Amino acid sequence: MSGSGAPIRRLFVQPILVKTIGPAQREKRMIPSDSSRQEEDEENEAPVKAKRSKADHAGEEVVYHPVKLSRNDLYRPPTAEELNQLKEAESLFHCSLLKMQMEELLKEVALSERRKRQIDSFIQTVTKLIQTVPDSPEVEVSDLSWLSGAVKVPFLLVPKTTKGKFHMAPPSSIDLIGSYPLGTCTKPNVMVDLAVTIPNDVLHPKDVLNQRYPRKRALYLAGLAQHLASSSDIGTMQYSCLHGNRLRPVLLLTPPGKDSSSFTLRVHACPAPGFFKPSRFHPQRNNIRTEWYTGLQTSQSGKISSEPPTPHYNSSVLGDLLPRAHLQFLSAVSSQCSAFTDGVALLKVWLRQRELDQGTGCFNGFLASMLLAYLLITHRISNSMTAYQLLRNALNFLASTDLTVNGISLAKDPDSTAFHDAFQVVFVDPSGHLNMCADITACTYKQLQHEASLSMQFWDNPTVDGFQCLLMTPKPMIRTSDHVFQLCELVKLQSSCKKLNLLSELMDHSGDYIHTALPFILSLLQQGLSQRIHLLTHSLSPDPKSEAPKHKAQPPLSFGLLLRAELSSTVLDRGPPADSPKAAEFRQLWGPRSELRRFQDGDITEAVLWHGESICQKRLVPKQIITHLLQLHADIPESCVRYVGAMVDDVIKTGSEVSGTGEEESLVVVQSYDDLSRKLWRLEGLPLTITAVQGAHPALRYTQVKPLALTRKLYSFFDREKTSRSLVPKEGKPCPVYITPITVICHMEGSGKWPHDRLAIQHIRAAFHIQLGELLRKHHNYTCRPCPTHLDVWKDGLVFRIQVAYHREPQVLRESLTAEGLLVVRDNDEAQALEMATIHKPLLTSTLHGLQQQHPCFGAACRLVKRWLSAQLFSDDITEDTADLLVASLFLQPAPFTAPSSPQVAFLRFLHLLSSFDWRNNPLIVNLNNQLTAVDYTEIKNGFMATRESLPVMFIATPKDKKLSMWTKRSPSIQMLQRVIMVAAESLKVLEHQLIDGSQKQDVRVILRPPLEAYDVVIHLNPKQVPLLDQAVDPPAITFSRGVMSGSAAQPGGPLPVIDYNPVSLYLGELREAFGDLALFFCDPCGGTVITVLWKPKAFIPTPFKTSQVSARSVEVTGDETKTVPNVEAILEDFRIMGKGLVKSVEARTEKWSF
Amino acid sequence: MAPSKKKHAKNQACVIPGGFTVLSLQFSSDSAARHSLYVKEHRVRAERSSHRPLDRTLFVLNIPPYCSEDVVKDLFSQFGSVQSVELRDHPGSSQESGPKLSKFFKPAEKQGFKVGYVVFQISSSLPAVKSHPHDVPLVVCTEHRPVKTGLQKWIQQYTNSFIQPEQLQQKVDSFMEDYDKRKEEEAERQKKEAEEEQEDEEGWVKVTRGHKGTKARPHSEAANQRTLQREITKKKRKELLNFYTWQHRNTQKEHIAELRKKFEEDKQRIALLRAQRKFRPY
Repeated sequence: MSGSGAPIRRLFVQPILVKTIGPAQREKRMIPSDSSRQEEDEENEAPVKAKRSKADHAGEEVVYHPVKLSRNDLYRPPTAEELNQLKEAESLFHCSLLKMQMEELLKEVALSERRKRQIDSFIQTVTKLIQTVPDSPEVEVSDLSWLSGAVKVPFLLVPKTTKGKFHMAPPSSIDLIGSYPLGTCTKPNVMVDLAVTIPNDVLHPKDVLNQRYPRKRALYLAGLAQHLASSSDIGTMQYSCLHGNRLRPVLLLTPPGKDSSSFTLRVHACPAPGFFKPSRFHPQRNNIRTEWYTGLQTSQSGKISSEPPTPHYNSSVLGDLLPRAHLQFLSAVSSQCSAFTDGVALLKVWLRQRELDQGTGCFNGFLASMLLAYLLITHRISNSMTAYQLLRNALNFLASTDLTVNGISLAKDPDSTAFHDAFQVVFVDPSGHLNMCADITACTYKQLQHEASLSMQFWDNPTVDGFQCLLMTPKPMIRTSDHVFQLCELVKLQSSCKKLNLLSELMDHSGDYIHTALPFILSLLQQGLSQRIHLLTHSLSPDPKSEAPKHKAQPPLSFGLLLRAELSSTVLDRGPPADSPKAAEFRQLWGPRSELRRFQDGDITEAVLWHGESICQKRLVPKQIITHLLQLHADIPESCVRYVGAMVDDVIKTGSEVSGTGEEESLVVVQSYDDLSRKLWRLEGLPLTITAVQGAHPALRYTQVKPLALTRKLYSFFDREKTSRSLVPKEGKPCPVYITPITVICHMEGSGKWPHDRLAIQHIRAAFHIQLGELLRKHHNYTCRPCPTHLDVWKDGLVFRIQVAYHREPQVLRESLTAEGLLVVRDNDEAQALEMATIHKPLLTSTLHGLQQQHPCFGAACRLVKRWLSAQLFSDDITEDTADLLVASLFLQPAPFTAPSSPQVAFLRFLHLLSSFDWRNNPLIVNLNNQLTAVDYTEIKNGFMATRESLPVMFIATPKDKKLSMWTKRSPSIQMLQRVIMVAAESLKVLEHQLIDGSQKQDVRVILRPPLEAYDVVIHLNPKQVPLLDQAVDPPAITFSRGVMSGSAAQPGGPLPVIDYNPVSLYLGELREAFGDLALFFCDPCGGTVITVLWKPKAFIPTPFKTSQVSARSVEVTGDETKTVPNVEAILEDFRIMGKGLVKSVEARTEKWSF
Repeated sequence: MAPSKKKHAKNQACVIPGGFTVLSLQFSSDSAARHSLYVKEHRVRAERSSHRPLDRTLFVLNIPPYCSEDVVKDLFSQFGSVQSVELRDHPGSSQESGPKLSKFFKPAEKQGFKVGYVVFQISSSLPAVKSHPHDVPLVVCTEHRPVKTGLQKWIQQYTNSFIQPEQLQQKVDSFMEDYDKRKEEEAERQKKEAEEEQEDEEGWVKVTRGHKGTKARPHSEAANQRTLQREITKKKRKELLNFYTWQHRNTQKEHIAELRKKFEEDKQRIALLRAQRKFRPY
């Protein structure tokens, strides 16, 4: 930023003006006065003066800098004119900040001078070496005896024989081509292209036929490799091929020593420009004869017109002829537009973050430059635009132009019809002969378009950090697509080529069966999945790097599906009526699965019915479709398809007959609650009416980790409490099943009869509980148990905990009388807790319930996330509500992705959010119900920046809570957040690796097993007494009867079951109360059988004897001093005593202790 | 524990600086580890409370969570009959305020280490405690005094948590009756005071300083602030801020200063981001 003080200063002046206006001030501006006019002038001058004064008043600054601006000055009433200016300033700020960030980014990716010098010197060395290639005697092309055994030929010699002679000779010229001379080369993976021209006497003009030229080129490269191998100036040497096209091998060289990874020199062998006639490579010409390729004598030999065209082969040869011409063209364009190289660099970063810039059929940096050149030449962008504007216009163009239908051309007389017939995506080069997008599939282009239009949306949205989304966040397929599947054992695609009858295409691709079959498979899937998906993408297979090319051992090909949430899981595909002409087409597509069905509306149509009972199974309908279609049409067996759509869902599967992930159970709970709330509304005979019934429990927003199953009780299992007809756990038996009470808040009408005293309100509430219970028992025969704090209702096999609330109670709690009789209002924890329980939690529950209606996989995602948090022992630090909010933010503000449509992808993004979000410098804004506007966003951010130090480390703002982040006020602490971030990053890495790499042993539960080495004491619990044991990460070997019978739901009435009795949490509570200042206790609330303990290091420093600090400490007397230290032996003994019956053993890892 | 044990001979009390005597305590006779209780006679100058007579009260620190008041009472009965035991979270004076609450409405107690005030019936028990040998531990759980912990305790807790609705209703009714009575008395008193301020037959008004709660000035802090605010705005309105040239210049100067400050802050922020490599895309 040095040396550009003035323009940037301007930039910073603007946001301050923006800050000075708040909604409250707008009203005030009505007062017209002379002084305001004067002030306005002043305001306009201010930035200018600020600029000037910096140099003049350098001394003054010392006086001024601690001065705090008076409120008066900050909140000056603005005039209408000024307001306009402020608006302008805001939009200008929005872009200029982005612009400045982009400049910083460009500095990061640009090559340093030092690096450039290194590259230049290495190029010189290599050039010199290559020029001294010795001549070799002329041999037949198929004769490889002149090569030493160690050097392989980077070409698959199939069919084996071809005509022609070959000999090595020094190149006629060596030139730099591609991005490096153009100045658009960027970090990382610096690739410098070097074109070595094969001398004309090695080639023959007719060599274009039957792969003769490509073979000679490969031999030439092998000759170079043999020559270079002996030199010590070369670090490593590898073959690869250009953009995965095996007809175009290249030689990769790296410098020796420690610089070897800093850049790569890519050596291309090319014919001299114009050596072949470009017209021979028209996409409809044939250059590989079937007879030669198949080795069979066809009857109509010699008749060229019947030969199929070979467009891909043609373009791959043509691509070798033109690089110099392209470089010239691009340099000419680049010299006109100063921001061209920066624009290309930005576009390359954008492409790279989306994994579109590498591999077979990629939209590489060369295409990016060509695209910008096209836009410049067609005057869609002007020469004077900045890099920022170039990027924006390029994205805009990509988003709005479909190159699969309307190809574009840089040639003078564009005629793209021939190209459209041969290729899916058309972008013709300046010569008019080459389609530069020959290898790109329509799907990749659609993905590009989709990404571009998404990026434009984010760019225009003031609430989204455009820079982060566009250029800084990587979008790997596993995190972008809702479902991903992989084709393993790609050799099987050979048979699909046969099945799809693709011989001539296979010939065109010179035997590359994967890329021959790919477009057909893609269109097949697109057809089959039609309405269910937004987008089908596929991975671009990386350029192979090896000694010699191989057909086998290809990495699997991944496909990504972006699902349409509302349609993706329907089990029925309804086709056309049986007699319509389209029916045949439908039957052809679906094969035997298609059947005639009669529907309720009387139609008889073709239809396909897929299997799926639970929502979890229905989510996998796309998998059924894909495996069916691939098997039917492409001969790819199911075993080759590795579907990674729902692998993680396993973790939250319920063990009932129909495997599901809990959506159904949650629905039952919600329905039962709805019924209860209706009944509460209708109750008559209460002294005050009920004004609201609100749920305040995760189960009522579909996000409880394991929703409750309705059960019947086994009475012999329990003791009875006589007076209240309730069951009581029996000593000696395993702990009974845990029944969570579902909290329901019941607001009562405000009335003058409510007392204005906290204790009296408590008593009145208790009276209401009694009365409500009585009424419910009388009218609906529910068993109820009133307490002073709540009323438990046993209904449909569930327990609802009704709490009566009075809306003025928090206010009453805050009020107190001072000694002088002055009424003061002081906020306190008690009032906050009450507000949280009776106002905020119900509100959050209903809001998130609404979110679940919009996004069907929200609940499952929350459950997955919370399962992970609890398994990693974080559930006390990141509470359920916080976790739900975090997940909600993924759905509400998905940028740079789209809202997730499968729990797995939401979970991956959650881990990414947790690990990569800059909690220190940014507030996480969760825009529930879309209530926040751009103005609110700035307000929240400014407030956050101003008071960062006093705010929680994890700051989450919602529309109802813009300043305090009440959900994360207590936890996590900074240390715990650090640990959460670390574990999340590691989990994400492991999990993504597992999901992508099919060759590994598959066990997604690895991420749910926390390492116990870090803890000082591990308390092992008796599994018999852990009520939620069946939810444990690894299902237990033995299960215990917990006093339930499977079967239908219980009848109303009957004794009350054991509610909310969980020895583990009781024990944990006692431990924390007794030893909370000495140690931290962690436990997995979902069936964890260990409690881990971490000593607080501070507690073990010997402290002087103080009456308030002697808990669990022993004294050491040295002379007059009395110091206390924790009495560890007795504490460990206490762990055992306090958990008698529950604790199996206490394992003290004394070797770790350092005090 | 180890060092202090060695220093003192057997069958002797262990007194540490500060006047506390260390008593050891173990849960049952076969427990290996011991807690130490620190006891001292209760001596607070300011307190004149009948609950804790100075000469008979023992101040006990570090009572483990599984010792209830009954257990403590029992433990110390060997030194003389105990009148009462009070367990608290922190040392401090006892406070009894507000109406007496039934057990249903008492806030839940913390289950941590406690501080105890043991009141003996006769003052000679105190020296007995203080001379108790250090290596003879007090035993919490014995055969004739089993102390429930863990599962047994939780099951008992659960069983005890049942409340008969009738009982609860009764408590509520009695409390509310009490409350209403208090409210009524209050209202009565206020009414009387108001009456007193009325003119009598001869036209005299009795003016008193008034009791708490009479309407002499605003009753709440909020009202106070409102009044204050009103005063300030009134003053502000009268003040001329943009009258003299120096005032004008000053505001301008301050404005510039502010801009400069913000600019520096923002520059730092960007520098910080750059230092953290926030602009590196991969």
